[in-house]
Amino acid sequence: MTWRRALLIIALLTPGLGVILVMIGSVFYVAVMQSFGYYNLVGEDTFSLEHWQKVLESKQFSRALRYSAYIAVVAAIGSVILAYPIAIWLRRPFRGSLVISALLKAPLFVPGLVASFLFLNVIAFHGIVNQFLMWTGLTDAPIRLQNDRGAWGVVFLQLWKNMPFALLLLTGAVQSISDEVLDAARDLGAGSFDRFRKVIAPLTVQAMQAALIIIFIGAAGDFAFQVTAGPTNVQSMAQYMVFLKDSFGRWNQAAVVGVSLMVLALFGSLILAILARFILKSGNKW
Amino acid sequence: MTALRSIDVSKVFEDGFTALADINLSIDHGEFVTLLGPSGCGKTTLLKIFAGFYAPTTGRIEQNGADVTSAPPEKRDTAMCFQSYALFPHLTVAENVEFGPKQNKVPKAERITRVDDLLRQVDLGKNRDKLPNKLSGGQQQRVALARALAMRPSVVLFDEPLSNLDAKLREQVRREIRGLQQQFGFTAIYVTHDQSEALAMSDRVVVMSGGKIEQIGAPEEVYQRPETAFVADFIGSANLLPFQRVDDYTVETALGRFTVADPPDSDARFLCWRPEAAEYGASEGDNVVASEISERAYQGSYTDLHISLPGAPDQRLHWPGGASSVGDHVTFRLPPDRIRFVRGELG
Repeated sequence: MTWRRALLIIALLTPGLGVILVMIGSVFYVAVMQSFGYYNLVGEDTFSLEHWQKVLESKQFSRALRYSAYIAVVAAIGSVILAYPIAIWLRRPFRGSLVISALLKAPLFVPGLVASFLFLNVIAFHGIVNQFLMWTGLTDAPIRLQNDRGAWGVVFLQLWKNMPFALLLLTGAVQSISDEVLDAARDLGAGSFDRFRKVIAPLTVQAMQAALIIIFIGAAGDFAFQVTAGPTNVQSMAQYMVFLKDSFGRWNQAAVVGVSLMVLALFGSLILAILARFILKSGNKW
Repeated sequence: MTALRSIDVSKVFEDGFTALADINLSIDHGEFVTLLGPSGCGKTTLLKIFAGFYAPTTGRIEQNGADVTSAPPEKRDTAMCFQSYALFPHLTVAENVEFGPKQNKVPKAERITRVDDLLRQVDLGKNRDKLPNKLSGGQQQRVALARALAMRPSVVLFDEPLSNLDAKLREQVRREIRGLQQQFGFTAIYVTHDQSEALAMSDRVVVMSGGKIEQIGAPEEVYQRPETAFVADFIGSANLLPFQRVDDYTVETALGRFTVADPPDSDARFLCWRPEAAEYGASEGDNVVASEISERAYQGSYTDLHISLPGAPDQRLHWPGGASSVGDHVTFRLPPDRIRFVRGELG
């Protein structure tokens, strides 16, 4: 390749790659540097590991890290698990399948905060869930469902919001598998579950990995669902980051949490994606 | 003994399309039966009903005397070779072949033996670790065949397995399929729209049209003695002429008056003769036709001549030589024993 050609390629890539590098790279750079004591809003700019030390020693941080990782894993795996059977069901068009598909994808168009607000109304003391429980006689009085300690509300919202995204990715992948390949598996003795495990899942593993990665990253950094519907005894990483910044003006420590969140998103999603491929590969060797 | 049998089988799809109507067919053990017909005639539907992918709307399927109508494909003693090969793209050649036996809990040692033997037989031993997309079409088809045979099924169903191969490879794989069928002794049901494949491979040919069986018979029988205008026209070339009976052994057509060896049945609608039935040399006498050549097409071993007479347009005959031109006169004789009568309508 001549230097002229290399220059041309770089010039052509600059509008796209440049924006990515400048926008994301600069944010990442500033966050990392801030976590080590630079870019201080107040005080001196000096290299220091103190902020990392303080954050890593904090119990609140370790709880937030575990909690965000848990929510992200459950959201990613749960969304994929829920989306697969629906994607397989919708694989071949039938009367009404387009409407069903559109309805299932509707949550993609609802902002997370709006979804949380609607959810809170549904599970509130005066909400329809409590009304139903009382109508059936299961409870005598309204029970507290908001901000539950088990984070079931957040998990529900994550699945509600992310399952359609997983469905979007998986439907295309599942539809690309020919009828004859699935018929062949059936003809060779594979029942429904074996057809999924040995044919559908391995052939759609890339879509599955993409869904796992994207959902994991989104759920790990959740703020909206957590502050509205999440448990009050634990904070998510994003919530903890904002808490540090807002409550005490600890920008450097907030940056440490931010960088940790990025590391969690990167490695967590990669581990999940590699694990998915590994499980499928060993499943095929059975 | 009957290996597979369809009894009064019909299939009507959800959109109301009748794909099959009252199909009764018995296939013996070790027989190679071809379902032959044009697209949409119901041959693949019938094959899929045999495989268990479709349930018949009415009627039933018996395998070795047992009713398997409601049995799913994985519970039937059949294996299918698909038109698109349908190999698992994420598995190697050996893993593809091993898939069925593994699924059916065949012990590992036996599985390995089966895979090795079959890959050797289809000449793919060296390709065992390759993924299917690294193989040619012919090799993929052989993997599909080995995969089906690894199940040791008593019936193998072939759904137009050669349609994606070029002409030369098709003939080679055709011979290999027939060879393996004779070697293993399995019953084969083979779907094709290619008459030459059907005639070359089959013990019996089932000619289908519009969801019905037109004729069942040995290849020679369906070619030499077609019963309907459709069979005569679909298998090879045939000249079909309306006729009027003069007496039991004489009929009148637009080509002239013919003496025939067998009198026409009461429901016969057309006189039928094959282009290669024409004999050349005689210039007068019974069954002699003289006409001008309206069209010619050199075919190598013969020349395809077309003649047209009022009421008998576009009659074809095979001229053994090449020296003929449009406008030349040709005289030929149709031997009485090469004239047949068929019933039915022209497509």
